[in-house]
Amino acid sequence: MDEVKVGVFLSDCGKQLSEILDFDTLIDYVKKIAGVSFIVRSSEFWRGKGLQSIVDAVRDGKINRVVVAESLVKLSDVKIVEAVEKAGINPYLVEVINLEEHCGWPHRNTPSEATEKAKAMLFAAVERAKLLEPIEKLEFPVLKSTLVIGGGIAGMQVAEDLADLGFKVHLVERAPFLGGLAARAGRFFPTDDCAICIQSPASDVKTITHTSRKCVYRSGLSEIPNLEILTNSKIIGVEGVPGNYKVTIEKKPRYVNEMKCVLCDKCTAVCPVEVPDEYNAKLNTRKAIYMNIPNVYPPAYVIDENICKFHDCAKCVEVCPTNAIELNQETEQLKLDVGAIIVSTGFEEFDASVIKEYHYGDYPDVITNLELARMIDGFGPTAGKIVKPSNGKPAKKIVMIQCVGSRDRRWNPYCSSICCMISLKHAMLMKSAHPDADIAICYIDIRTTGREHEYYYEQAREMGIKFVKGRPTEISRDPETNRLIVDVEDALLKKILELEADMVVLAPAMIPAEGTKELAEILGIELCEDGFFKEYNAKLRPTETKLRGIYLCGGATFPKDAPTSSLHAHSAAVKAAKFLTTGKIIKDQRTAVVNEDYCGDCEFCPVTCPYGAISLEEISEGHFVAKVSDILCEGCGICVGTCPLNAIELRHSRPDQMRAQMRGLMSVNGTSKPLVLAICCSECGHAAVDSSGMAMMQYPANVRIMKVPCTGILQVHQFFEAFKTGAEGVMIVGCKSDGCHYEVGVQKAEKKVELTRMLLKEYGIAPERLEMFNMVFIEGNKFVEAAQTMTERLEKLGPLQLMSVS
Amino acid sequence: MEYGKEQKTTGSEFSNAITSRLGGETLTRCYQCGTCVSSCPVARLTDEFNPREIIKLSLLEESARVLSSDSIWLCCSCYSCQERCPQKVEIADVIYAIRNIAFEKGYIPNIYSEFASAILDDGRIVNISKFMEQKRSTIGLPPLTPTGVDALRKILSATGFDKLQKEVEEA
Repeated sequence: MDEVKVGVFLSDCGKQLSEILDFDTLIDYVKKIAGVSFIVRSSEFWRGKGLQSIVDAVRDGKINRVVVAESLVKLSDVKIVEAVEKAGINPYLVEVINLEEHCGWPHRNTPSEATEKAKAMLFAAVERAKLLEPIEKLEFPVLKSTLVIGGGIAGMQVAEDLADLGFKVHLVERAPFLGGLAARAGRFFPTDDCAICIQSPASDVKTITHTSRKCVYRSGLSEIPNLEILTNSKIIGVEGVPGNYKVTIEKKPRYVNEMKCVLCDKCTAVCPVEVPDEYNAKLNTRKAIYMNIPNVYPPAYVIDENICKFHDCAKCVEVCPTNAIELNQETEQLKLDVGAIIVSTGFEEFDASVIKEYHYGDYPDVITNLELARMIDGFGPTAGKIVKPSNGKPAKKIVMIQCVGSRDRRWNPYCSSICCMISLKHAMLMKSAHPDADIAICYIDIRTTGREHEYYYEQAREMGIKFVKGRPTEISRDPETNRLIVDVEDALLKKILELEADMVVLAPAMIPAEGTKELAEILGIELCEDGFFKEYNAKLRPTETKLRGIYLCGGATFPKDAPTSSLHAHSAAVKAAKFLTTGKIIKDQRTAVVNEDYCGDCEFCPVTCPYGAISLEEISEGHFVAKVSDILCEGCGICVGTCPLNAIELRHSRPDQMRAQMRGLMSVNGTSKPLVLAICCSECGHAAVDSSGMAMMQYPANVRIMKVPCTGILQVHQFFEAFKTGAEGVMIVGCKSDGCHYEVGVQKAEKKVELTRMLLKEYGIAPERLEMFNMVFIEGNKFVEAAQTMTERLEKLGPLQLMSVS
Repeated sequence: MEYGKEQKTTGSEFSNAITSRLGGETLTRCYQCGTCVSSCPVARLTDEFNPREIIKLSLLEESARVLSSDSIWLCCSCYSCQERCPQKVEIADVIYAIRNIAFEKGYIPNIYSEFASAILDDGRIVNISKFMEQKRSTIGLPPLTPTGVDALRKILSATGFDKLQKEVEEA
């Protein structure tokens, strides 16, 4: 580009700001800055005449760089940038600063000092603007298809939503049948209807016309156009980028042709192989060719290849009236191209047998809630009867134990959140079927926090279910009578009770579904401490991950009851649809770029990048350089702060631009106090400064604000540079340690500050001249306190003596 | 231990005193599930000892009641509670920490005080009778060697134990 011509647009905010700042002085000052060719003062620049004056100056070719001093930058800069782009220059040649919240308001009591600070801010902005270069935007295609992993209650609903919205959906389920854990639960709270409903959920489009919208079993998931269901299948590989994933799926053979099977039951009748049925908690047996319960999807038997004798037997093949059995089917690998991926892998029961004192797996009459649910289910192994698994006789005295392996630091420290309601539901179902049953629930705390949930607790007490406040230490068994004895202290009675029981029902923790960790690795997304998938932000982005294009729902993020899983699923569907619907991602390239001449064979940046956006590429034999993915890079600059060779930079926060900004901010003091440079991240740090200004809190004008994308971008030498340019103290202001918007940036900055303080000490400079502060938007007061503390500290320390370098 | 009318549930002086001591750190994790009580062989025999209640009263700052009671001295240190506590509260160790505070404040049952004297005198809690010595040889155990009571005294003196014990004896 030819000669740089900077236009400076000064807003006096409806003359409010000119009561503090001397605008005539400022305009005279700006005029003298080299490269400034155009100055306008107006009331505001983000709309109306003011905005038009920017647009006109750009159109007329009077300027090719734009500096705007506005208020509430977060809101106004978008409009200004958009207008400038329409007027014909690159939108990244605009620098917007906030003279109101960062200068006028916080220094209103010292107007002359504020004016001097404003000079420095304007000089810094112009100097930075002169170094700005056009940055392009790239477009990436987004395929209008999705993969949903996990066919439980959440996965089926999200698949249905997206298919109904017109996207192609591939629903992949590891088990031979859809339904997941929820389908095994028998009945649901708080609706008290059957869990089977969710096994073949309705398309809303269909149900409106011919079936009930609540009982979904009669309409068909399989009837939804655009929805392809793959059971017996698992994800073995995912490559690609958001909008364009290449997925490899391993589909195990069913050995029964779904299109031919008529569910006549002849095959299971002749099958000679019989094993305990794990679906029904091994309370009954099933054949090698089987289905879980009569109403399943897909409606076809499956052969358990681990036990079937295949061609040595083949009795089923002989009796099948439709020739549906195909023993020669083989494992297939399928490749899918999808734009988005939704993880709905759910949770499962914790293996209670590791808690030795409860003897689960050892005493047959100690069972879990899920096993009890199978008993209660009319389709279950006992056809709804509550019996002792050891002898099939009715169980009349039942003790239920809560928090088995949950809220337990030895196994799972979290509360699984749904078990109290499950146990209350089960206790009541048993009690209504057998009013003479004697049921006691041993609990630590009863947690019934959903709508209508507390009524369950109330109703259970009315029905005569007993509650013992205490966690049992042990279940023992009378060797003669086989009766179980539960040792528990009732804390309210302060008495140790020995509760006799025919059957003990444990409420085990709910843990991430098997394979969660492996899937997280395949997808490149993170798990939280408890082992569930970690959402991008629990408050505002509960279904998103840090990778655009990958979404979470249902029990994959934490145990959930059915209503919550449904909510989560529909929410994920909206997020995914928003992403898929435009068919493209437009991404500006204020991202990282590698200088291959300097980059050399280390692995720091690929390891540090929180988004997996950097890979190593061999450019000549044995020589690897870093390569940044333009679509994955989020522009935080953590790689920049990590690179030991200065071989990587952000296109919009280059070292020379940052240096120019620093020098500008330190160029004028105008106060009697030592200059402080506050380097703030563009997220919480900068927001806290904004909020202090909005609230008109006062701090001294010697404190100057510099914005960087994330404090993680900062390098040790930049702290020294700040001192060299005239700062006598440096504040680094970032998000909370565990709340970095770029995952790890603020932690990296903290470490670098610590290291630099050690070096400062080594050089005879007081280390407390540099300090890291962590704050959030609402903590403007914290920023003000920090600015005051730093100023007072520096005044006490006296002028900074840097060793003169000859 | 019974709750009194003058229950003091404010402040955190006593619970801080416990958690800042070796073994007492995990006190505040307790959520009163009572697993410790039903695991405890002593609690089975007497209502006088209830580890859950000792912790509850400590958290409620009932220091006088906890420190002056016999209850804290009834733990037999079998560590069953600690093995089974779902919050990994080191219950037996917490009780040791409380005992240490009690001892410093001059609360110690006579029997324990006598043990302490015995240890300072000859390094053993229980005197070994001649009969016991003979019994050892008949079942093939080697004779007991003299205790290194001098070394023990040095350690106990370094910890200030001897001084405290003296104070208790004098009182």
